[in-house]
Amino acid sequence: MEVIEEKQNDIYIIKPKGRLDSNTSPEFEKKIFEIIEKGSRNMIIDFESLDYVSSAGLRVILKVAKQLKHSDGRVILCSMEDYVKEVFEIAGFDSIIPIVPNRGDALKNFEASQIPSRDP
Amino acid sequence: MLENTVYFCLKNRLSELDILSRKLEAFGNSCRLSRKHLLEINLALEEIFTNIISYGYVDNADHWIKIMFSTQNGHIIIRIEDDGIPFNLVKTEKPDFECGLEERPIGGLGVYLIKQLMNDIVYERDGNKNILTMKKKFTVGR
Repeated sequence: MEVIEEKQNDIYIIKPKGRLDSNTSPEFEKKIFEIIEKGSRNMIIDFESLDYVSSAGLRVILKVAKQLKHSDGRVILCSMEDYVKEVFEIAGFDSIIPIVPNRGDALKNFEASQIPSRDP
Repeated sequence: MLENTVYFCLKNRLSELDILSRKLEAFGNSCRLSRKHLLEINLALEEIFTNIISYGYVDNADHWIKIMFSTQNGHIIIRIEDDGIPFNLVKTEKPDFECGLEERPIGGLGVYLIKQLMNDIVYERDGNKNILTMKKKFTVGR
């Protein structure tokens, strides 16, 4: 599956395209964990180009959220279409992972919580 | 009476999922199913299909999974028949949603989603077959 990767300051923005199902999720998981291994702690997953998600996709998002929390980072999800948002809500993910309307809101959310630079 | 009935068989291979989605899309278009309902039914079908191929068989042989789509009194009817080990998904329990991110279980979500998205689910065991029949009330639309 196609995944667009961008970096803004220290925030990685991941944009999966098409369908996140049992066939495509393993590849998505591999790509996203490669990015986490590069040292990314703060991540936005932008769902603007995602048409479909199943529990296989939800599992990857849950693993990512757990992993980032473990390394004192976090993930924010944004720009979901109605169907995708509905699936996240039914699965109860909206109470454990922040979901915001668009990328701008996600970036603001990170800025607001940014720890001041540790460099003197 | 069932209307617009479509029957087909798929092998117990993950690669058949794309065929399943395409067949459903063609059926959905023929009865002018809304996109949201199409995606919801697609999700239920994928969860059931992957469950069967992941946990249903104790051998490595090829098996056929029989699928039927139909409509009846404003409902979409989906019937899935497999010859795997008995599995009654109607009787499974809701995953624990009370806990926080770190404790949230990874499994059990698929079956829970099916139950939330379909209006009626009936399980039967007939000889060596699991037969699952699901209904969803549908609206014609975009």
